[in-house]
Amino acid sequence: MKNKILNIKNLSKSYGAFKVTDEITIDLHFDEIHALIGPNGAGKSTLIKQIVGSVKHDIGSIILDQEDITDLTDVERAKIGISRTFQVSSIIPQFSAIDNIVLSLLDKSSKTFQMFKSVRNNKGLYSNANKILKEIELSEKSDISASDLSHGDRRKLEVGLALAMDPKVFLFDEPMAGLDESGTNMMINLFKKIKSNSPILLIEHDMDAVFALADRVSVINYGKIVATGTVDEIRKNELVRDVYLGYEI
Amino acid sequence: MIVEKIFNKWILVFLFLIPVLGFIFEEPYYITLTTKVVILGIAGIGLNLALGYCGLISFGHAAFFGLGGYVTGILSFHALNSELMFSWPFVTSGSSEMLVIWPIVILSSAFLALIIGLLSLRTTGVYFIMITLAFAQMLYFFAISWPNYGGEDGLSIYMRNSLPMINTMDPLTFYLICLCWLLIVIFISAKLINSSFGMAFQAIKQNEERVKSVGIETFKVKLLVFVISGIITGLAGSLYTDLNRFISPSVLNWQMSGEIMVFVILGGIARLYGPLVGAAFFIVLEQTLGGYTENWQFWLGLILILEILYVRTGILSLFEKKLKYEK
Repeated sequence: MKNKILNIKNLSKSYGAFKVTDEITIDLHFDEIHALIGPNGAGKSTLIKQIVGSVKHDIGSIILDQEDITDLTDVERAKIGISRTFQVSSIIPQFSAIDNIVLSLLDKSSKTFQMFKSVRNNKGLYSNANKILKEIELSEKSDISASDLSHGDRRKLEVGLALAMDPKVFLFDEPMAGLDESGTNMMINLFKKIKSNSPILLIEHDMDAVFALADRVSVINYGKIVATGTVDEIRKNELVRDVYLGYEI
Repeated sequence: MIVEKIFNKWILVFLFLIPVLGFIFEEPYYITLTTKVVILGIAGIGLNLALGYCGLISFGHAAFFGLGGYVTGILSFHALNSELMFSWPFVTSGSSEMLVIWPIVILSSAFLALIIGLLSLRTTGVYFIMITLAFAQMLYFFAISWPNYGGEDGLSIYMRNSLPMINTMDPLTFYLICLCWLLIVIFISAKLINSSFGMAFQAIKQNEERVKSVGIETFKVKLLVFVISGIITGLAGSLYTDLNRFISPSVLNWQMSGEIMVFVILGGIARLYGPLVGAAFFIVLEQTLGGYTENWQFWLGLILILEILYVRTGILSLFEKKLKYEK
Protein backbone atom coordinates (compact mmCIF):
# COMPACT_ATOMS: atom_id res chain seq x y z
CA MET A 1 0.00 0.00 0.00
CA LYS A 2 2.86 2.36 0.83
CA ASN A 3 4.25 2.32 -2.70
CA LYS A 4 0.84 2.98 -4.22
CA ILE A 5 -0.14 6.57 -4.89
CA LEU A 6 -3.47 5.66 -6.50
CA ASN A 7 -5.47 2.64 -5.46
CA ILE A 8 -8.78 1.81 -7.11
CA LYS A 9 -10.89 -1.02 -5.75
CA ASN A 10 -13.93 -2.68 -7.30
CA LEU A 11 -14.98 0.39 -9.26
CA SER A 12 -18.17 -0.28 -11.21
CA LYS A 13 -20.51 1.69 -13.39
CA SER A 14 -23.61 0.46 -15.19
CA TYR A 15 -26.00 2.14 -17.59
CA GLY A 16 -29.09 -0.01 -17.16
CA ALA A 17 -28.07 -3.60 -17.75
CA PHE A 18 -24.84 -2.56 -19.51
CA LYS A 19 -21.76 -2.68 -17.25
CA VAL A 20 -19.25 -0.14 -18.54
CA THR A 21 -16.77 -0.86 -15.77
CA ASP A 22 -17.11 -4.06 -13.79
CA GLU A 23 -15.40 -4.19 -10.39
CA ILE A 24 -12.16 -2.75 -11.67
CA THR A 25 -9.23 -2.96 -9.28
CA ILE A 26 -6.10 -1.20 -10.45
CA ASP A 27 -3.31 0.77 -8.82
CA LEU A 28 -0.57 3.20 -9.70
CA HIS A 29 2.82 3.07 -8.02
CA PHE A 30 5.15 5.99 -7.35
CA ASP A 31 7.58 6.61 -10.24
CA GLU A 32 5.69 4.46 -12.72
CA ILE A 33 3.78 4.66 -15.94
CA HIS A 34 0.90 2.22 -15.85
CA ALA A 35 -0.65 1.78 -19.27
CA LEU A 36 -4.26 0.78 -19.70
CA ILE A 37 -4.99 -0.80 -23.07
CA GLY A 38 -8.00 -2.47 -24.60
CA PRO A 39 -10.35 -2.37 -27.56
CA ASN A 40 -12.59 0.64 -28.26
CA GLY A 41 -15.59 0.65 -25.95
CA ALA A 42 -13.84 -1.51 -23.35
CA GLY A 43 -14.39 1.11 -20.62
CA LYS A 44 -10.99 2.83 -20.48
CA SER A 45 -12.21 6.41 -20.82
CA THR A 46 -15.16 5.76 -18.50
CA LEU A 47 -12.68 4.55 -15.90
CA ILE A 48 -10.72 7.80 -16.26
CA LYS A 49 -13.96 9.76 -15.91
CA GLN A 50 -14.81 7.83 -12.75
CA ILE A 51 -11.37 8.51 -11.28
CA VAL A 52 -11.61 12.26 -11.96
CA GLY A 53 -15.19 12.33 -10.69
CA SER A 54 -17.01 13.49 -13.80
CA VAL A 55 -18.88 10.16 -13.94
CA LYS A 56 -20.29 8.89 -10.66
CA HIS A 57 -19.46 5.30 -9.84
CA ASP A 58 -22.03 2.78 -8.55
CA ILE A 59 -19.72 0.97 -6.15
CA GLY A 60 -16.04 0.88 -5.31
CA SER A 61 -13.43 3.15 -3.76
CA ILE A 62 -10.61 5.43 -4.89
CA ILE A 63 -7.64 6.15 -2.61
CA LEU A 64 -5.18 8.87 -3.61
CA ASP A 65 -2.00 9.14 -1.55
CA GLN A 66 -3.69 7.29 1.35
CA GLU A 67 -6.70 9.64 1.27
CA ASP A 68 -10.14 8.31 0.37
CA ILE A 69 -11.38 10.58 -2.42
CA THR A 70 -14.35 8.42 -3.44
CA ASP A 71 -16.94 10.98 -2.35
CA LEU A 72 -15.13 14.11 -3.52
CA THR A 73 -16.39 16.18 -6.46
CA ASP A 74 -14.46 16.47 -9.72
CA VAL A 75 -13.14 19.92 -8.79
CA GLU A 76 -12.02 18.74 -5.34
CA ARG A 77 -10.19 15.80 -6.91
CA ALA A 78 -8.44 18.12 -9.36
CA LYS A 79 -7.44 20.40 -6.49
CA ILE A 80 -5.85 17.64 -4.43
CA GLY A 81 -3.79 16.36 -7.32
CA ILE A 82 -5.51 14.50 -10.14
CA SER A 83 -4.72 15.99 -13.51
CA ARG A 84 -6.07 14.68 -16.78
CA THR A 85 -6.13 15.06 -20.51
CA PHE A 86 -9.27 14.39 -22.53
CA GLN A 87 -9.70 11.80 -25.25
CA VAL A 88 -10.90 14.56 -27.58
CA SER A 89 -8.89 17.76 -27.15
CA SER A 90 -10.59 19.99 -24.62
CA ILE A 91 -9.05 23.44 -24.51
CA ILE A 92 -10.27 27.03 -24.29
CA PRO A 93 -10.58 27.77 -28.02
CA GLN A 94 -10.55 31.57 -27.95
CA PHE A 95 -7.59 31.79 -25.56
CA SER A 96 -4.03 31.81 -26.83
CA ALA A 97 -1.86 28.78 -26.06
CA ILE A 98 -0.12 30.60 -23.23
CA ASP A 99 -3.40 31.84 -21.73
CA ASN A 100 -4.64 28.24 -21.68
CA ILE A 101 -1.60 27.29 -19.62
CA VAL A 102 -2.00 30.33 -17.33
CA LEU A 103 -5.61 29.31 -16.69
CA SER A 104 -4.32 25.95 -15.55
CA LEU A 105 -1.88 27.66 -13.17
CA LEU A 106 -4.49 29.89 -11.49
CA ASP A 107 -5.80 27.52 -8.84
CA LYS A 108 -2.39 26.28 -7.75
CA SER A 109 -1.18 29.86 -7.32
CA SER A 110 -4.42 30.92 -5.55
CA LYS A 111 -5.09 33.60 -8.14
CA THR A 112 -8.55 32.50 -9.33
CA PHE A 113 -10.40 35.14 -7.34
CA GLN A 114 -7.89 37.96 -7.84
CA MET A 115 -10.18 40.62 -9.30
CA PHE A 116 -8.51 43.94 -9.88
CA LYS A 117 -5.01 43.09 -11.02
CA SER A 118 -4.40 42.46 -14.70
CA VAL A 119 -3.53 38.80 -15.16
CA ARG A 120 -1.21 39.73 -18.04
CA ASN A 121 0.93 41.80 -15.69
CA ASN A 122 1.57 38.74 -13.54
CA LYS A 123 5.09 37.96 -14.69
CA GLY A 124 5.39 34.93 -12.40
CA LEU A 125 2.40 33.17 -13.96
CA TYR A 126 3.50 33.90 -17.52
CA SER A 127 7.10 32.92 -16.82
CA ASN A 128 5.92 29.53 -15.49
CA ALA A 129 3.58 29.14 -18.44
CA ASN A 130 6.46 29.85 -20.85
CA LYS A 131 8.54 27.10 -19.21
CA ILE A 132 5.71 24.63 -19.76
CA LEU A 133 5.24 25.72 -23.37
CA LYS A 134 8.96 25.11 -23.89
CA GLU A 135 8.63 21.58 -22.47
CA ILE A 136 5.82 20.75 -24.87
CA GLU A 137 7.60 22.50 -27.76
CA LEU A 138 4.94 25.15 -28.29
CA SER A 139 6.98 28.24 -27.35
CA GLU A 140 6.83 29.66 -30.84
CA LYS A 141 3.06 29.34 -30.90
CA SER A 142 2.39 30.84 -27.48
CA ASP A 143 0.28 33.73 -28.80
CA ILE A 144 -1.68 31.72 -31.34
CA SER A 145 -5.34 31.20 -30.54
CA ALA A 146 -5.86 27.60 -29.40
CA SER A 147 -8.59 27.15 -32.01
CA ASP A 148 -6.02 27.89 -34.74
CA LEU A 149 -3.54 25.26 -33.53
CA SER A 150 -3.14 22.02 -35.47
CA HIS A 151 -4.56 18.81 -34.03
CA GLY A 152 -1.11 17.69 -32.90
CA ASP A 153 -0.40 21.00 -31.19
CA ARG A 154 -3.73 20.83 -29.38
CA ARG A 155 -2.77 17.40 -28.03
CA LYS A 156 0.48 18.90 -26.79
CA LEU A 157 -1.40 21.82 -25.24
CA GLU A 158 -3.68 19.34 -23.44
CA VAL A 159 -0.63 17.77 -21.86
CA GLY A 160 0.70 21.24 -21.04
CA LEU A 161 -2.51 22.05 -19.18
CA ALA A 162 -2.07 18.90 -17.12
CA LEU A 163 1.62 19.63 -16.44
CA ALA A 164 0.81 23.14 -15.21
CA MET A 165 -1.22 21.72 -12.35
CA ASP A 166 1.83 19.93 -10.90
CA PRO A 167 -0.44 17.10 -9.73
CA LYS A 168 0.11 13.93 -7.69
CA VAL A 169 -0.95 11.75 -10.63
CA PHE A 170 -1.55 12.21 -14.33
CA LEU A 171 -4.35 10.48 -16.18
CA PHE A 172 -3.57 10.74 -19.88
CA ASP A 173 -6.28 9.64 -22.30
CA GLU A 174 -4.71 8.93 -25.70
CA PRO A 175 -2.30 11.88 -25.57
CA MET A 176 -0.46 10.73 -28.68
CA ALA A 177 -3.49 10.26 -30.92
CA GLY A 178 -2.86 12.10 -34.18
CA LEU A 179 0.72 13.11 -33.36
CA ASP A 180 3.45 12.72 -35.94
CA GLU A 181 6.63 10.79 -35.15
CA SER A 182 8.52 13.73 -33.71
CA GLY A 183 5.50 14.70 -31.57
CA THR A 184 5.22 11.15 -30.27
CA ASN A 185 8.94 11.04 -29.46
CA MET A 186 8.67 14.36 -27.65
CA MET A 187 5.80 12.97 -25.57
CA ILE A 188 7.66 9.75 -24.79
CA ASN A 189 10.70 11.68 -23.55
CA LEU A 190 8.52 14.09 -21.60
CA PHE A 191 6.54 11.31 -19.89
CA LYS A 192 9.74 9.48 -18.93
CA LYS A 193 10.98 12.71 -17.36
CA ILE A 194 7.85 13.63 -15.40
CA LYS A 195 6.85 10.21 -14.08
CA SER A 196 9.30 10.43 -11.15
CA ASN A 197 7.42 13.48 -9.84
CA SER A 198 3.93 12.40 -10.80
CA PRO A 199 3.19 8.86 -11.95
CA ILE A 200 1.04 8.37 -15.02
CA LEU A 201 -1.98 6.23 -15.78
CA LEU A 202 -1.83 6.13 -19.56
CA ILE A 203 -4.51 5.12 -22.04
CA GLU A 204 -2.96 4.75 -25.46
CA HIS A 205 -3.58 2.85 -28.67
CA ASP A 206 -0.06 3.38 -30.03
CA MET A 207 1.45 0.07 -28.87
CA ASP A 208 5.00 1.13 -29.76
CA ALA A 209 4.65 4.08 -27.43
CA VAL A 210 3.03 1.95 -24.73
CA PHE A 211 5.77 -0.67 -24.83
CA ALA A 212 8.45 2.03 -24.87
CA LEU A 213 6.99 3.79 -21.85
CA ALA A 214 5.02 1.50 -19.57
CA ASP A 215 6.42 -0.06 -16.43
CA ARG A 216 3.21 -2.08 -16.12
CA VAL A 217 0.31 -2.68 -18.46
CA SER A 218 -3.29 -3.58 -17.66
CA VAL A 219 -5.67 -4.85 -20.28
CA ILE A 220 -9.36 -4.05 -20.05
CA ASN A 221 -12.10 -5.80 -21.99
CA TYR A 222 -15.88 -5.48 -21.59
CA GLY A 223 -15.28 -3.34 -18.48
CA LYS A 224 -13.09 -5.92 -16.73
CA ILE A 225 -9.36 -6.01 -16.16
CA VAL A 226 -8.29 -9.25 -17.83
CA ALA A 227 -4.54 -9.03 -17.25
CA THR A 228 -1.94 -6.91 -15.51
CA GLY A 229 1.82 -7.28 -15.73
CA THR A 230 5.06 -6.00 -17.13
CA VAL A 231 5.38 -5.30 -20.83
CA ASP A 232 6.99 -8.71 -21.40
CA GLU A 233 4.30 -10.52 -19.43
CA ILE A 234 1.55 -8.78 -21.38
CA ARG A 235 3.23 -9.48 -24.70
CA LYS A 236 3.34 -13.18 -23.89
CA ASN A 237 -0.18 -13.36 -22.49
CA GLU A 238 -2.32 -15.41 -24.89
CA LEU A 239 -5.60 -14.04 -23.57
CA VAL A 240 -4.38 -10.49 -24.24
CA ARG A 241 -3.41 -11.42 -27.75
CA ASP A 242 -6.87 -12.86 -28.26
CA VAL A 243 -8.84 -9.92 -26.93
CA TYR A 244 -6.73 -6.98 -28.05
CA LEU A 245 -3.31 -7.34 -29.64
CA GLY A 246 -4.45 -10.05 -32.02
CA TYR A 247 -0.92 -10.99 -32.94
CA GLU A 248 2.37 -11.80 -31.30
CA ILE A 249 4.66 -8.82 -30.72
CA MET B 1 -9.88 46.24 -32.29
CA ILE B 2 -8.00 49.57 -32.44
CA VAL B 3 -10.84 51.19 -34.40
CA GLU B 4 -13.29 49.86 -31.82
CA LYS B 5 -11.24 51.46 -29.05
CA ILE B 6 -11.24 54.80 -30.88
CA PHE B 7 -15.00 54.47 -31.35
CA ASN B 8 -15.41 53.75 -27.63
CA LYS B 9 -13.59 56.97 -26.82
CA TRP B 10 -15.87 58.86 -29.18
CA ILE B 11 -18.86 57.39 -27.35
CA LEU B 12 -17.59 58.94 -24.13
CA VAL B 13 -16.97 62.27 -25.89
CA PHE B 14 -20.56 62.22 -27.20
CA LEU B 15 -21.86 61.38 -23.76
CA PHE B 16 -20.19 64.54 -22.46
CA LEU B 17 -21.11 66.71 -25.44
CA ILE B 18 -24.80 65.94 -26.07
CA PRO B 19 -26.14 66.98 -22.64
CA VAL B 20 -23.86 70.03 -22.59
CA LEU B 21 -25.30 71.07 -25.96
CA GLY B 22 -28.78 70.35 -24.59
CA PHE B 23 -28.00 72.66 -21.68
CA ILE B 24 -26.57 75.42 -23.88
CA PHE B 25 -29.52 75.33 -26.27
CA GLU B 26 -31.99 74.91 -23.37
CA GLU B 27 -33.26 71.52 -24.52
CA PRO B 28 -33.49 69.54 -21.23
CA TYR B 29 -35.37 66.80 -23.12
CA TYR B 30 -32.11 65.68 -24.76
CA ILE B 31 -30.36 65.67 -21.40
CA THR B 32 -33.07 63.39 -19.98
CA LEU B 33 -32.90 61.17 -23.03
CA THR B 34 -29.12 60.80 -22.74
CA THR B 35 -29.50 60.14 -19.01
CA LYS B 36 -31.86 57.30 -19.88
CA VAL B 37 -29.30 55.90 -22.35
CA VAL B 38 -26.59 56.01 -19.68
CA ILE B 39 -28.77 54.29 -17.05
CA LEU B 40 -29.98 51.57 -19.41
CA GLY B 41 -26.39 51.19 -20.62
CA ILE B 42 -25.32 50.53 -17.02
CA ALA B 43 -28.04 47.87 -16.71
CA GLY B 44 -26.82 46.28 -19.95
CA ILE B 45 -23.19 46.32 -18.83
CA GLY B 46 -24.32 44.47 -15.70
CA LEU B 47 -26.07 41.79 -17.74
CA ASN B 48 -23.18 41.63 -20.23
CA LEU B 49 -20.81 40.49 -17.47
CA ALA B 50 -23.00 37.44 -16.81
CA LEU B 51 -24.31 36.80 -20.31
CA GLY B 52 -21.57 38.06 -22.58
CA TYR B 53 -18.46 37.14 -20.66
CA CYS B 54 -19.57 34.17 -18.54
CA GLY B 55 -22.25 32.62 -20.74
CA LEU B 56 -25.03 32.91 -18.14
CA ILE B 57 -28.12 33.64 -20.21
CA SER B 58 -30.19 35.33 -17.55
CA PHE B 59 -33.71 36.21 -18.59
CA GLY B 60 -34.48 37.64 -15.18
CA HIS B 61 -32.29 40.71 -14.79
CA ALA B 62 -35.43 42.83 -14.51
CA ALA B 63 -35.58 41.43 -10.96
CA PHE B 64 -32.41 43.36 -10.04
CA PHE B 65 -33.37 46.45 -12.02
CA GLY B 66 -36.79 46.47 -10.38
CA LEU B 67 -35.46 45.69 -6.92
CA GLY B 68 -32.98 48.59 -7.13
CA GLY B 69 -35.83 50.79 -8.32
CA TYR B 70 -38.27 49.73 -5.62
CA VAL B 71 -35.71 49.94 -2.79
CA THR B 72 -34.98 53.51 -3.90
CA GLY B 73 -38.65 54.33 -4.30
CA ILE B 74 -39.76 52.85 -0.98
CA LEU B 75 -36.96 54.44 1.07
CA SER B 76 -37.62 57.77 -0.56
CA PHE B 77 -41.42 57.47 -0.25
CA HIS B 78 -41.18 56.97 3.53
CA ALA B 79 -38.63 59.73 3.99
CA LEU B 80 -40.59 62.28 1.96
CA ASN B 81 -43.85 61.42 3.73
CA SER B 82 -42.17 61.13 7.17
CA GLU B 83 -43.82 57.74 7.52
CA LEU B 84 -42.43 55.00 9.71
CA MET B 85 -41.00 52.24 7.49
CA PHE B 86 -40.48 49.65 10.21
CA SER B 87 -39.80 49.71 13.93
CA TRP B 88 -37.90 46.44 14.39
CA PRO B 89 -35.00 45.71 14.75
CA PHE B 90 -34.55 49.49 14.58
CA VAL B 91 -36.81 52.42 13.88
CA THR B 92 -36.48 54.02 10.45
CA SER B 93 -38.47 56.28 8.22
CA GLY B 94 -36.50 55.54 5.07
CA SER B 95 -34.08 57.95 3.48
CA SER B 96 -33.91 60.35 0.61
CA GLU B 97 -30.12 60.53 0.66
CA MET B 98 -28.49 58.87 -2.33
CA LEU B 99 -25.42 58.11 -0.23
CA VAL B 100 -27.64 56.04 2.07
CA ILE B 101 -29.81 54.56 -0.66
CA TRP B 102 -27.01 53.34 -2.95
CA PRO B 103 -25.32 51.07 -0.38
CA ILE B 104 -28.73 49.61 0.53
CA VAL B 105 -29.47 49.01 -3.15
CA ILE B 106 -26.06 47.33 -3.58
CA LEU B 107 -26.62 45.07 -0.56
CA SER B 108 -30.18 44.13 -1.45
CA SER B 109 -29.31 43.45 -5.12
CA ALA B 110 -26.34 41.34 -4.04
CA PHE B 111 -28.54 39.38 -1.63
CA LEU B 112 -31.22 38.75 -4.25
CA ALA B 113 -28.61 37.73 -6.84
CA LEU B 114 -27.05 35.40 -4.30
CA ILE B 115 -30.37 33.67 -3.63
CA ILE B 116 -31.34 33.43 -7.31
CA GLY B 117 -27.79 32.38 -8.25
CA LEU B 118 -27.54 29.67 -5.59
CA LEU B 119 -30.66 28.02 -6.97
CA SER B 120 -30.45 28.75 -10.70
CA LEU B 121 -26.73 28.10 -11.24
CA ARG B 122 -27.26 24.44 -10.40
CA THR B 123 -28.89 24.25 -13.81
CA THR B 124 -27.70 25.17 -17.29
CA GLY B 125 -29.13 26.13 -20.65
CA VAL B 126 -32.85 26.54 -21.00
CA TYR B 127 -33.48 25.56 -17.36
CA PHE B 128 -31.27 28.42 -16.17
CA ILE B 129 -33.15 30.83 -18.45
CA MET B 130 -36.50 29.61 -17.11
CA ILE B 131 -35.52 29.79 -13.43
CA THR B 132 -34.18 33.33 -13.72
CA LEU B 133 -37.33 34.33 -15.61
CA ALA B 134 -39.52 32.69 -12.97
CA PHE B 135 -37.83 34.63 -10.15
CA ALA B 136 -38.32 37.95 -11.92
CA GLN B 137 -41.96 37.15 -12.68
CA MET B 138 -42.56 36.23 -9.03
CA LEU B 139 -41.26 39.64 -7.99
CA TYR B 140 -43.36 41.28 -10.70
CA PHE B 141 -46.58 39.73 -9.43
CA PHE B 142 -45.58 40.45 -5.84
CA ALA B 143 -45.14 44.15 -6.71
CA ILE B 144 -48.52 44.20 -8.46
CA SER B 145 -50.25 42.70 -5.45
CA TRP B 146 -48.57 44.95 -2.87
CA PRO B 147 -51.00 47.84 -2.38
CA ASN B 148 -48.85 49.70 0.20
CA TYR B 149 -46.58 50.85 -2.59
CA GLY B 150 -49.05 51.51 -5.34
CA GLY B 151 -49.58 47.98 -6.60
CA GLU B 152 -50.16 47.97 -10.33
CA ASP B 153 -50.27 51.79 -10.47
CA GLY B 154 -46.73 52.15 -9.20
CA LEU B 155 -45.17 54.52 -6.72
CA SER B 156 -44.43 58.21 -7.26
CA ILE B 157 -41.77 60.12 -5.39
CA TYR B 158 -42.15 63.86 -5.56
CA MET B 159 -38.55 64.87 -5.11
CA ARG B 160 -35.45 63.30 -6.59
CA ASN B 161 -33.22 61.86 -3.86
CA SER B 162 -30.44 64.14 -2.78
CA LEU B 163 -26.68 64.37 -2.53
CA PRO B 164 -24.99 66.82 -0.12
CA MET B 165 -24.42 70.26 -1.68
CA ILE B 166 -25.67 69.11 -5.08
CA ASN B 167 -28.95 70.02 -6.75
CA THR B 168 -30.02 66.64 -8.12
CA MET B 169 -33.23 68.14 -9.53
CA ASP B 170 -31.17 69.89 -12.17
CA PRO B 171 -31.22 67.58 -15.24
CA LEU B 172 -27.58 68.22 -16.17
CA THR B 173 -26.38 67.62 -12.61
CA PHE B 174 -28.32 64.38 -12.33
CA TYR B 175 -26.99 63.34 -15.73
CA LEU B 176 -23.43 63.90 -14.53
CA ILE B 177 -24.13 61.72 -11.46
CA CYS B 178 -25.31 58.93 -13.76
CA LEU B 179 -22.31 59.44 -16.03
CA CYS B 180 -20.00 59.08 -13.02
CA TRP B 181 -21.69 55.76 -12.22
CA LEU B 182 -21.28 54.67 -15.83
CA LEU B 183 -17.55 55.45 -15.76
CA ILE B 184 -17.18 53.60 -12.43
CA VAL B 185 -19.04 50.57 -13.79
CA ILE B 186 -16.98 50.55 -17.02
CA PHE B 187 -13.76 50.87 -14.99
CA ILE B 188 -14.71 48.02 -12.63
CA SER B 189 -15.90 45.80 -15.49
CA ALA B 190 -12.67 46.40 -17.46
CA LYS B 191 -10.61 45.54 -14.40
CA LEU B 192 -12.61 42.36 -13.82
CA ILE B 193 -12.43 41.25 -17.45
CA ASN B 194 -8.65 41.61 -17.55
CA SER B 195 -8.02 39.96 -14.17
CA SER B 196 -7.34 36.32 -13.27
CA PHE B 197 -10.96 36.11 -12.16
CA GLY B 198 -12.01 37.45 -15.57
CA MET B 199 -9.85 34.85 -17.28
CA ALA B 200 -11.64 32.16 -15.27
CA PHE B 201 -15.18 33.31 -16.06
CA GLN B 202 -14.45 33.89 -19.73
CA ALA B 203 -13.00 30.37 -19.92
CA ILE B 204 -16.13 28.97 -18.24
CA LYS B 205 -18.22 30.42 -21.07
CA GLN B 206 -16.13 28.49 -23.61
CA ASN B 207 -15.48 25.17 -21.88
CA GLU B 208 -16.67 24.70 -18.30
CA GLU B 209 -15.63 21.06 -18.08
CA ARG B 210 -12.02 21.97 -18.89
CA VAL B 211 -12.05 24.77 -16.30
CA LYS B 212 -13.29 22.33 -13.64
CA SER B 213 -10.55 19.90 -14.59
CA VAL B 214 -7.86 22.45 -13.72
CA GLY B 215 -9.27 22.78 -10.20
CA ILE B 216 -11.26 25.99 -10.56
CA GLU B 217 -14.53 26.04 -8.63
CA THR B 218 -16.74 27.10 -11.49
CA PHE B 219 -19.89 27.31 -9.37
CA LYS B 220 -18.30 29.90 -7.07
CA VAL B 221 -16.92 31.87 -10.00
CA LYS B 222 -20.29 31.92 -11.77
CA LEU B 223 -22.10 32.85 -8.55
CA LEU B 224 -19.76 35.77 -7.93
CA VAL B 225 -20.15 37.02 -11.51
CA PHE B 226 -23.92 36.73 -11.18
CA VAL B 227 -23.90 38.72 -7.93
CA ILE B 228 -21.68 41.49 -9.39
CA SER B 229 -23.89 41.56 -12.46
CA GLY B 230 -27.01 41.84 -10.26
CA ILE B 231 -25.49 44.70 -8.23
CA ILE B 232 -24.68 46.75 -11.35
CA THR B 233 -28.16 46.22 -12.80
CA GLY B 234 -29.70 47.03 -9.39
CA LEU B 235 -27.81 50.32 -9.29
CA ALA B 236 -29.16 51.17 -12.73
CA GLY B 237 -32.68 50.51 -11.42
CA SER B 238 -32.06 52.90 -8.54
CA LEU B 239 -30.93 55.68 -10.90
CA TYR B 240 -33.90 54.96 -13.18
CA THR B 241 -36.34 55.54 -10.32
CA ASP B 242 -34.63 58.83 -9.51
CA LEU B 243 -34.70 59.86 -13.17
CA ASN B 244 -38.44 59.28 -13.51
CA ARG B 245 -39.33 59.93 -9.85
CA PHE B 246 -41.59 56.97 -10.33
CA ILE B 247 -41.39 53.21 -10.13
CA SER B 248 -43.94 50.65 -11.27
CA PRO B 249 -44.09 46.85 -11.60
CA SER B 250 -43.47 47.18 -15.35
CA VAL B 251 -39.71 47.38 -14.69
CA LEU B 252 -39.92 43.92 -13.11
CA ASN B 253 -41.68 42.39 -16.08
CA TRP B 254 -40.04 39.91 -18.45
CA GLN B 255 -40.19 42.57 -21.14
CA MET B 256 -37.65 44.60 -19.18
CA SER B 257 -35.36 41.56 -18.97
CA GLY B 258 -35.79 41.19 -22.72
CA GLU B 259 -34.99 44.84 -23.35
CA ILE B 260 -31.77 44.68 -21.30
CA MET B 261 -30.83 41.58 -23.28
CA VAL B 262 -31.57 43.42 -26.53
CA PHE B 263 -29.17 46.24 -25.50
CA VAL B 264 -26.43 43.63 -25.06
CA ILE B 265 -27.15 41.81 -28.32
CA LEU B 266 -27.58 45.00 -30.38
CA GLY B 267 -24.36 46.59 -29.18
CA GLY B 268 -22.26 43.48 -29.04
CA ILE B 269 -22.08 40.54 -26.68
CA ALA B 270 -18.88 40.47 -24.61
CA ARG B 271 -17.91 43.97 -25.69
CA LEU B 272 -17.46 46.42 -22.83
CA TYR B 273 -19.22 49.35 -24.53
CA GLY B 274 -21.63 47.13 -26.45
CA PRO B 275 -24.65 47.49 -24.13
CA LEU B 276 -24.21 51.27 -24.02
CA VAL B 277 -24.26 51.44 -27.82
CA GLY B 278 -27.19 49.02 -27.84
CA ALA B 279 -29.14 51.13 -25.35
CA ALA B 280 -28.43 54.29 -27.36
CA PHE B 281 -29.55 52.61 -30.58
CA PHE B 282 -32.70 51.31 -28.86
CA ILE B 283 -33.61 54.76 -27.49
CA VAL B 284 -32.95 56.46 -30.83
CA LEU B 285 -35.22 53.91 -32.56
CA GLU B 286 -37.89 54.37 -29.91
CA GLN B 287 -37.78 58.15 -30.29
CA THR B 288 -37.69 58.26 -34.08
CA LEU B 289 -39.85 55.31 -35.17
CA GLY B 290 -42.08 55.77 -32.12
CA GLY B 291 -43.12 59.12 -33.63
CA TYR B 292 -44.59 57.33 -36.65
CA THR B 293 -46.10 54.25 -35.09
CA GLU B 294 -46.70 52.93 -31.60
CA ASN B 295 -45.74 49.47 -32.85
CA TRP B 296 -42.17 50.57 -33.57
CA GLN B 297 -40.87 47.33 -32.03
CA PHE B 298 -41.79 45.65 -35.34
CA TRP B 299 -38.83 47.48 -36.90
CA LEU B 300 -36.66 46.67 -33.89
CA GLY B 301 -37.44 43.00 -34.47
CA LEU B 302 -36.49 43.32 -38.13
CA ILE B 303 -33.21 45.04 -37.25
CA LEU B 304 -32.43 42.34 -34.68
CA ILE B 305 -33.05 39.60 -37.25
CA LEU B 306 -30.82 41.32 -39.81
CA GLU B 307 -28.13 41.90 -37.21
CA ILE B 308 -28.12 38.30 -36.01
CA LEU B 309 -28.04 37.04 -39.61
CA TYR B 310 -25.39 39.38 -40.98
CA VAL B 311 -23.45 41.00 -38.11
CA ARG B 312 -24.06 38.59 -35.23
CA THR B 313 -21.54 40.07 -32.80
CA GLY B 314 -23.22 43.46 -32.52
CA ILE B 315 -22.92 46.99 -33.84
CA LEU B 316 -19.43 47.44 -32.40
CA SER B 317 -18.10 44.50 -34.40
CA LEU B 318 -18.68 46.56 -37.57
CA PHE B 319 -15.78 48.73 -36.48
CA GLU B 320 -13.60 45.70 -35.85
CA LYS B 321 -14.28 44.49 -39.40
CA LYS B 322 -13.46 47.90 -40.82
CA LEU B 323 -9.97 47.60 -39.34
CA LYS B 324 -9.46 44.26 -41.09
CA TYR B 325 -10.33 45.82 -44.46
CA GLU B 326 -7.96 48.70 -43.76
CA LYS B 327 -5.14 46.22 -43.30
